[in-house]
Amino acid sequence: MNLGVFINDYKSTVETVDRLKADKLGFIFVQNGVFHTTLKEHGKSSPLLDKTTNLYVLAEDIATRGLTEADVDKRVKVVTYSDVVDLIFNDYEKLAWL
Amino acid sequence: MSNVTCAFIIQRPPYKSETSTLGFTHAISWQVVEMLLDEGQNVVPTVCFVGEGVLNLYTNQKAMENYGVTSIESHGKNSLLVDLDMLVCKEDLERFGIPEDRLLDAEDMGADKKLQIVPYAEIQKAMESCKHLLFF
Repeated sequence: MNLGVFINDYKSTVETVDRLKADKLGFIFVQNGVFHTTLKEHGKSSPLLDKTTNLYVLAEDIATRGLTEADVDKRVKVVTYSDVVDLIFNDYEKLAWL
Repeated sequence: MSNVTCAFIIQRPPYKSETSTLGFTHAISWQVVEMLLDEGQNVVPTVCFVGEGVLNLYTNQKAMENYGVTSIESHGKNSLLVDLDMLVCKEDLERFGIPEDRLLDAEDMGADKKLQIVPYAEIQKAMESCKHLLFF
């Protein structure tokens, strides 16, 4: 299955993520989840960014919080709402919220 | 007559829930509360930012542009404009790698106050010395 996971909080969800099995796993960081893509807590990136190469962050939510694309980890693609709709309809047959 | 000291501790991240916004608005409302006190008595509020609460303080927030809501940055600037003491935990800024020049100020609005970046020990002192301690 192709599984898209929305991450909307800045908290550790690594244990849950480790249990998810999918042919294609994608993380879409929204709301306060965007901090996973911009902060380096104690100098280290969020461990979530190591779990898959399909990483997306919502542009509107980084801007709302005073952040810019330059703050986003290079492994993460910055997307708009319209892009998220495309991901939902074209790339991921199942979706989850963490 | 002694003043009423209040410490508002903001520990939650911005948006999503209203928790941190309520911390600001409660702190700003100290002027209204003062009307209910005895003659000569004052409220002395201090707002402290710890943990993920420091994430509220980024400048250049685009909440109004994207979602049509007042940004938390605006609440922060208004707090400085009404001369609230705002203490920011230095260790937590370092933990998240947030430089001082990414933080809000209200200089453009004519505020004299600025965010005060202090060690956690200073915030602990504020918590110990206040009469009322409120967490948001």
